[in-house]
Amino acid sequence: MRLPTFFSKKRGQRRTGSAAWGSFGEGFFYAGLLAAGLFIGGLMLAGVAVPEWRINNHFVEVEGRLVGKGLARRTSTDLFGVRRQSWRPAVLLEYRAGDGSVRAWHAGGRGETTTDRSLALGQLDRWRLGQPVRCWYDPDQIETVVLKRGYNWWLWLLTLLLPGALVAFGAAGLVRAARAWGRSEERQAAEAERFFRPLVQAATADVDYPTVPPCDDLVNSPGTIQRFRLPTESPEAWSLVGSGLFALLWNAVVVVLAVAAGLDLAGGRTDWWLFGLLAPFALIGLVAVGQFLRRLLLATAVGPSHLEISDHPLRPGQTYDVHLSQGGSVGFRRLELVFELEEQATYCQGTDVRTEKQVVWRESIRRWDRVEPVPGTPFEADLQFSVPPRAMHSFRSAHNGVGWRLVLRGVPERWPAFLRVFPLVIVPADAAVAVGGSTLPRREVVS
Amino acid sequence: MIERTGAGGSVSPSPGPAFPPRVTVTFAADRASYAAGDLLQARYRLEAVDPATITAIERSVVWYTEGKGEEDFGVVFFDRLLADQSGSAADASAPAAAADWLSGSFGTQLPLSPLSYEGLIVKIRWCVRVRLFFVSGRDFVSEHVFFVGDIPVARPLGLAVS
Repeated sequence: MRLPTFFSKKRGQRRTGSAAWGSFGEGFFYAGLLAAGLFIGGLMLAGVAVPEWRINNHFVEVEGRLVGKGLARRTSTDLFGVRRQSWRPAVLLEYRAGDGSVRAWHAGGRGETTTDRSLALGQLDRWRLGQPVRCWYDPDQIETVVLKRGYNWWLWLLTLLLPGALVAFGAAGLVRAARAWGRSEERQAAEAERFFRPLVQAATADVDYPTVPPCDDLVNSPGTIQRFRLPTESPEAWSLVGSGLFALLWNAVVVVLAVAAGLDLAGGRTDWWLFGLLAPFALIGLVAVGQFLRRLLLATAVGPSHLEISDHPLRPGQTYDVHLSQGGSVGFRRLELVFELEEQATYCQGTDVRTEKQVVWRESIRRWDRVEPVPGTPFEADLQFSVPPRAMHSFRSAHNGVGWRLVLRGVPERWPAFLRVFPLVIVPADAAVAVGGSTLPRREVVS
Repeated sequence: MIERTGAGGSVSPSPGPAFPPRVTVTFAADRASYAAGDLLQARYRLEAVDPATITAIERSVVWYTEGKGEEDFGVVFFDRLLADQSGSAADASAPAAAADWLSGSFGTQLPLSPLSYEGLIVKIRWCVRVRLFFVSGRDFVSEHVFFVGDIPVARPLGLAVS
């Protein structure tokens, strides 16, 4: 019997390698995660959850008496060999358990542990010798006694969250690896498609066009002149938000540094390193605010762009009316409306996920030179454009996409150029038209 | 017939049989171009393979992406013939049954999208795949490309696409 090859190689059109070893390795990894989750979960349950649950449900309540008090000392050595001591208050309790009287020490919780001995002694002062105290003891080990009951919600959260995530992640991966074992990618995809089809049908309005993105978000805004107003994707808007956030965060850091430097000065100290750091930070902060204000001014001066269209989704070979409205108080050296097809591919490069975009087709619908503003009135134009008869339809899958869009490019007077993008969805052409009147059966097209 | 992988198809995960089998796929009416929503019908024939060594055959119609991005993949038709279900491998000594096992046909209605597309960084291809599973645990897949729709090849900007 030949073992499958461990390494994968691609030689020309032939690919050698081992899906079996791949599945095995993946399964082994997820099994490791699952085992780690179960192990950590077991430890957390045994060490934290179960003792706390027993205290609240099994320990016996009894009225006892405080007969002694002291400090519990703990000595530890750190990584550098330095010995450290910590103290926590401890009380000696006397209570009745079963037929006899029991004396047992109870030390405070971890929250009461301190490296300051005098502080620990101070905590002891609240206890008075001979005072009656309510306590709970373990019926299985009567010398174990506690003074408090209740649950630490964060401990339970920790107990459930960390191992729970590991168990869920590991189990899901293991099931996936087991399902992939010995199954071809086609079989896996077919089974997944059968499983997810009802969900996809429920979520997608137009199930007749698989992989064509839905255009619900593009037709929910009625226009004033044409049927639909198209939403805008403006790279400048994202730049504005990004520069605003950067300016805010950067200057917050500057303020923190400035407060620290001011407190130093007020205290009569001068930290030259801090001042040296503060000066360039403040300069960058000022530049960031300036950039943000400049972008804000550009966005408000150029004004909003609106584009309305006579129908949506679009079909190859059809002609559509659009109404363009460009607000703002600035004149434009040039305005141009173009119709574009852009491809988009997402891929992994090392540990990075990159997305590359490339415009593969472009047609200018109309270009205007020297557009002068009329106060109080936006620039408006009514236009027509046609989708090429053999145009590719809009396509979107997990890592790839082909998208159509109308793009308004503007070059304002004394301002940098701007770009407003209006995405469109184009569905495939009527099948009969595309193949020159084929009489083969086809599904009805839903518009 | 268009074969993406050349005469023998591709072997996955490793060369299974001593001599790679030949899988011939013939599209009905000898056409390899379809319109969206058309009925695709295809016949396949296996050669240079001992039918007794095959445990299952999977026939599928799939689309996948090529290009710069990670590969995406969709299945519009899939079925799996097991040796004992078809009756041929279970009775491999019978010549007629063996002949059935080595050829077959299937058909499916193609969806309205996606259409075949030859872009610059994104390409969408359709194909018929015939995957053979052998007693040894290995498998062999043969892929036969066909076209859906009539979308022109994209050219770098500046050249006509029309």
